[in-house]
Amino acid sequence: MSFKAIFGEALLIGIAGAILAFGANSISRQGLKLNRNYFSGGALSHSAGEAAVTSSSDAAPKSLAERLRSEGLQLADSNLVSRLYADPNRESGLVAFVDARNDEHYQAGHVPGAYQLDHYHPERYLEAVLPACQVAQQILVYCKGGACEDSEQTALFLRDAGVPSARLFVYAGGFDEWSSNRWPVEIGERNSGQIHESQPAGHPGAK
Amino acid sequence: MNSKSRYLEYFGVASRWILGGLFIYTGWTKAMHPEIFLKVIRQYDITTNPLILNSIAAALPWFEIYCGLLLLAGVAVRGAGLLVLLMLVPFTAAIFKRALAVSNLQHIALCAVRFDCGCGTGEVWICRKLAENLILMALTLLPLAGLGRLLSARFTLGAPKATGS
Repeated sequence: MSFKAIFGEALLIGIAGAILAFGANSISRQGLKLNRNYFSGGALSHSAGEAAVTSSSDAAPKSLAERLRSEGLQLADSNLVSRLYADPNRESGLVAFVDARNDEHYQAGHVPGAYQLDHYHPERYLEAVLPACQVAQQILVYCKGGACEDSEQTALFLRDAGVPSARLFVYAGGFDEWSSNRWPVEIGERNSGQIHESQPAGHPGAK
Repeated sequence: MNSKSRYLEYFGVASRWILGGLFIYTGWTKAMHPEIFLKVIRQYDITTNPLILNSIAAALPWFEIYCGLLLLAGVAVRGAGLLVLLMLVPFTAAIFKRALAVSNLQHIALCAVRFDCGCGTGEVWICRKLAENLILMALTLLPLAGLGRLLSARFTLGAPKATGS
């Protein structure tokens, strides 16, 4: 078989494969929408090295704070998060927590009462989360923490959906920091009642 | 078929199956979470065009599965081998380029660099990943050379069913 024939075969199966691949994406529940920009906010583009090295949440906040400010958002540290969680307004919906991670991570554990909004599949969550965010005066968005940028993207998504940016806070430490502080974690659905309570002094729920 | 060519033939079949199995596994891992793959390939700075980025992240995992299935079943093996090679070469070059950038940025040795390369196996040591990819590229040369016809459904599209199957 000549090289030309091999290239011809590769071209033929390549075209068939491309059609199948795009078709599979379009019917997959996890599929991406090709014409959507999942990374809104031009200031948030990554350089080659950045993503790989920002494994520590301590290193991130300074440049992150600047980036967020340029987008009209605010950075939340663990003190603010702790205060917001303990705030009585959280019970009345004036303070809302939004988890920007996917179903698997959310179900495994999230901040008690947090809404879920995976910005890659917003249509699944918007019905519940958008009205809550329109009512809330302070909305804290978090993802895993560290190099994770889903919280920023989700906050930008909410802003673009009409939630005033002044109300949006991004928790850079994310769920990793939350759970390493041994703060309460809710398992399963929102308000499932399955709260895993660790009991260190000064956790957000402590008076 | 003498014993030497028989062993080469077995080796060709093994390489086809290894490549096929690996591409199905890594393709499936990525296809189930294309958003993670999208985030990773974005870090390679290939393009900032959302349509191109989304298209790569959406289609490439399924395309890998498709090529893996062809290799495993022994259908259009040389064409599939060439496609696998064409995926491996630029992707390996992109990993190397990014690893160099991280190495320079961090002032660490290349082999101390570790990140999620979007290979479907999570965070990896880059030197090891590069070595693995070189081995995989070498393995694609066997079916490209016409080895691995045993147990193949239709080794070449343009010809009748392969002999020896």
